[in-house]
Amino acid sequence: MAMPHSVRKFALAAHVTVSVGWFGAVAVFLALALTGLISSDAQLVRAVYLGMELTARLVIVPLSVASLLSGLVSSLGTSWGVFRYYWVLIKLVINALSTLILLVHMQPITHLAHIAAKMQISNAEGRMQFQMVVTSSAALVALLVAIGLSVYKPQGMTTYGWRKQRQLVQR
Amino acid sequence: MAQAHDRPSRNTPPRLPGWVKVFGMLFLILVVAFVILHLTGNSLGGLHGARTPIELGVY
Repeated sequence: MAMPHSVRKFALAAHVTVSVGWFGAVAVFLALALTGLISSDAQLVRAVYLGMELTARLVIVPLSVASLLSGLVSSLGTSWGVFRYYWVLIKLVINALSTLILLVHMQPITHLAHIAAKMQISNAEGRMQFQMVVTSSAALVALLVAIGLSVYKPQGMTTYGWRKQRQLVQR
Repeated sequence: MAQAHDRPSRNTPPRLPGWVKVFGMLFLILVVAFVILHLTGNSLGGLHGARTPIELGVY
């Protein structure tokens, strides 16, 4: 399904924009999570978890879904395809898994925000606060790997891609 | 002398690249670690563990 050059460029620009935006938003989320974990200022901690919920719900989730969709459109519209090269396939897996895990983690994020809205964050939430730091750090690493794959495009065609290529040559 | 990594003929699919095998192993290790953490009750996911003051009826 080859796209016209201009549409291909637009799809790529959209994908890069939302993906890098996603990375930046997760970096902000990590900074807030670290602040919430180590700060002794009760008011600041409450504000942090309220901000984290807003950031996740209004920025990170939409950007992650946009990155996944724009990536699929970009891949399908070019000769790279979605399943023909390992770097594209692994990027898709990283993106899809990260988005799924993010949606699951909206529950503890929202939970902390609800507590922060009502009262001071207590030690009972310590494990959840630590979880925020760990999961956002892991997300950053995953997104860095995806960025690396996009830039370096390591060699390796899948068996499916090899068969597709042979079909094109034999026509 | 034939090398272990000779180029495959056009009639055979390409071999799995080394970097993909490394990625696969790392992913497996992460999955196993996550399952072990979950089974031992040390999961970092969800709302497991101690109940919050709200759930305990303190507030």
